[in-house]
Amino acid sequence: MEELIEYIAKSLVDDPSQVKVSRRVSGSTIILELRVAPEDTGRIIGKRGAVANAMRTLLRTMPTRRRERVVLKIL
Amino acid sequence: MDEKHSTEIVADTVEDAIAKGLAELGAGPGDVIVEVLEEPSKGMLGFGSRPARVRLQLLVSREAQPQETHEETHKTTTLDDTSYDDIADDYSHLAQDAGDEMLSHYQQQAIVDDSQLGDDANVGRAVLLELLDRMAIDADVTIRRAETSDDDDDTPWLLDVSGENLSRLIGRRGETLSALQYITRLITSRELQRRANIIIDVDGYKSRRAGKLHNLALRMAEQVTQRKQSVTLEPMPPYERRIIHLALRDYAGVDTRSVGEGDSRKVTIIPT
Repeated sequence: MEELIEYIAKSLVDDPSQVKVSRRVSGSTIILELRVAPEDTGRIIGKRGAVANAMRTLLRTMPTRRRERVVLKIL
Repeated sequence: MDEKHSTEIVADTVEDAIAKGLAELGAGPGDVIVEVLEEPSKGMLGFGSRPARVRLQLLVSREAQPQETHEETHKTTTLDDTSYDDIADDYSHLAQDAGDEMLSHYQQQAIVDDSQLGDDANVGRAVLLELLDRMAIDADVTIRRAETSDDDDDTPWLLDVSGENLSRLIGRRGETLSALQYITRLITSRELQRRANIIIDVDGYKSRRAGKLHNLALRMAEQVTQRKQSVTLEPMPPYERRIIHLALRDYAGVDTRSVGEGDSRKVTIIPT
């Protein structure tokens, strides 16, 4: 799922070299942290959060090994 | 809600449910407000079949019709405006709305051969395949020309995803499919530097749904004109409400309105 978020983010930003996705697990939650250049933040959040929400919707469909919840944080 | 004045009925068809509900309440067709909570579903794509669910509410005193906007625009207002609006992606508006409404009448033409495909179709398919690959979905993407009944030279390309076990790509009320289309259009538009004129479908889900909604609209409009009572349909996303509005645009004796906010916004068919 990191690959999915990385692909979407790199396709939408002006500076793909600054896109970083990391993953950590907290209990039964997988937390994906997406970092982009400050000027690109708006592009991956979108109007009224539309892009971020669409990414979250796609993430929700991904099967996880222990049925963990997946959370996307944009830093 | 007062039990004596309303009832919820489950039956195989919407019409059956309404008839049963009227009998239960001892009411005539003109005495109730009908709300279609859920249409019947045959259980396509592993969703499981569902019966029709209808709520009838007895008219005690005359209720004011909720009044709201008329023609559906696609911009659904959300409550949480963020400060990111100003710097949001220049292309994000381009990813919305294009062509969904056209699904209400399109027929699929034969699959076109590669040499005839436009950039929108080719780039769109490439982007879609990249996304599906990263979602661990093994599927093919077939390109068709969406055909509309309107005279429109800007016909969108239809990218239909086919494969096995794709119900997770559709999601509840097509929510996942909407997100997939939004992201695909956004990336494709950015690559093309203009609005990508594409529609994404999964195993023909949207075209089947559009056909069902069109028929539902006509059946309910007939009831509305016969009974002179409004019917409210289940909550639907914007492009589905639009299919209802368009289906009844020229239907004599009824008017359609969208009422409610956000996810609970639904179409009411009212007698004129």
